[in-house]
Amino acid sequence: MTAVTSRSPVSFLSGKPLRLIAAAILLVNGMFPALWILFTSLKTESELTRTPISWFPHEPTFANYMRAFSDQPLHLFLFNSFMVALLSTALTLFVSVLAAYALARLELRFRGLILSVIVAVSTFPLVTLLVPLFEIMRSLGFLNTWVALVLPYTVLSLPICTLMLISFFEAIPRDLENAAMIDGCTRIGALFKVVVPLCAPGVFTAGILAFVNAWDEFLLALSFNSNPSLRTLPVGIQLYQGEFAFPWPVISAALVVGIVPVAILIVIFQERVVSGLTAGGIKG
Amino acid sequence: MPISERDETHLPKWTKWLDLSDRALAVLLLAPAALLLSLIIVYPVARLIYTSFFSLSLTSGLPAEFIGLENFALMIDDPVFWETLWNTVLITIITVPGALIVGMALALLANLPFATQWPVRLSLLIPWALPLSFAGLIFAWFFHSQYGVVNDVLVRLGFEGIIWFNSPNWAFAAICLTIIWKTSSFMALMILAGLQTIPRSLYEAADVDGAGRIRQFFEITLPLLKPSIVVALIFRTITALQTFDIPFMMTAGGPGTSTATLAMYIHQNTVSFLDLGYGSALAVVMFALSMAVTAVYLRIIRAKD
Repeated sequence: MTAVTSRSPVSFLSGKPLRLIAAAILLVNGMFPALWILFTSLKTESELTRTPISWFPHEPTFANYMRAFSDQPLHLFLFNSFMVALLSTALTLFVSVLAAYALARLELRFRGLILSVIVAVSTFPLVTLLVPLFEIMRSLGFLNTWVALVLPYTVLSLPICTLMLISFFEAIPRDLENAAMIDGCTRIGALFKVVVPLCAPGVFTAGILAFVNAWDEFLLALSFNSNPSLRTLPVGIQLYQGEFAFPWPVISAALVVGIVPVAILIVIFQERVVSGLTAGGIKG
Repeated sequence: MPISERDETHLPKWTKWLDLSDRALAVLLLAPAALLLSLIIVYPVARLIYTSFFSLSLTSGLPAEFIGLENFALMIDDPVFWETLWNTVLITIITVPGALIVGMALALLANLPFATQWPVRLSLLIPWALPLSFAGLIFAWFFHSQYGVVNDVLVRLGFEGIIWFNSPNWAFAAICLTIIWKTSSFMALMILAGLQTIPRSLYEAADVDGAGRIRQFFEITLPLLKPSIVVALIFRTITALQTFDIPFMMTAGGPGTSTATLAMYIHQNTVSFLDLGYGSALAVVMFALSMAVTAVYLRIIRAKD
């Protein structure tokens, strides 16, 4: 995003005060829900059940965070989410780097068809495969293991990462690879020693998208890993609800804990994430 | 000696890898992806269609029995199937255009020449990165009848608070609003990327011709944005057909089954009732629906090339 952009029909707002209004709308829309959950997590139960409700926490307390970790094994949920997301990101990157290189650089007879398959898979509704995937994972003994989630999550991100990497690889001049191969590198060696390092930002962006996809997934995690110690965050967070009680401050604290890791990633790498998302999306 | 692209395959054979022809190497490089896709998509799809012709309920204890199209016949007489299918379609036709309109507005605002870009960018990225299930929980709290911030604002504005989750219509509205909020920022990011490729000179020329801002929007901005909008819309449509997380977290389908989606019904039949035959038949319907949308998508992409 550059500072000098094309004008849009709302550019009558370009006066400074009006621009501030536009910024306020965007910020409130984007941040308010997360901020509200942060406020809720800092309130005491008695402040929460006051009407009219108070917006800002008057006696901020960290007790809800303590309870979030003691009522349920939140550290385990975090650990499982991290491991599943990291492992599937690593696998996605490895598989999609190889596939993207073949599609970007090597002569392939069915290149067009393969690309179509990749695009079709990128929109595939994994929910429809709940039954067969459940049976496959059960017969392979993967239920209640990280693997049951790592494999489908890899497939979830594989298409978009492959499409992104193809466009990054195509931008690397072939001469650089050829030079490396003359120096005695194999093609695979040239891929990992020349192409991947040159595309490091792109590979990294693909990795962030894969990580966020895996971190967010709910349905398969809910269905495949019923063992409490293997639950991921989105599934574990449901456990705070009792049969009748809904301890909102504690749930909010757990939500904040779950949002922070991804929020940090997004804050640090925002520009890359935006360019990766839009490149992958527009390309298909 | 300089080596041109054509000579690549005739490079001296330093190592084992180079013994492979380009084509063999390509097959080797694509093999892991093909293996994964076979295990997670191709084989399961075949198995799904196969299972949909069987009566297979793990709770009955009976062995699987071939019953042909009976599961699909059952479906036609199943009011819950029609209700969840209708809810899914309704969510799609409300939230997809809804997210487009909100996303367009956000993108136009975000495209203003702000001195610092990062807060704007961040405010579009946070909703995208927030897990759907988290968004569902957060908005369930927003719409809480007693302590929710939505009712608080309504009361402050002089309206009466609404008991959102007791009435099918209000619950449905709350779910749709949540989905629109959650998905509009991705839409905005896509449209924003499109907006930034429109050359400024087009607007300057339109100014000279005396075209007003509104006319410029409809005659320059919108037509040039069409490709990015179409792609974003199709993506959104396919994900809307799979809606699960947000209604599951906000209402669990209630009251009754009035806000349950097809994905939730599939999940209930397979995971809760362990009726794998019927669940598979339901999944085949959803599979067919989204394949139809994907076919349109592929056609558009091909047309673009």
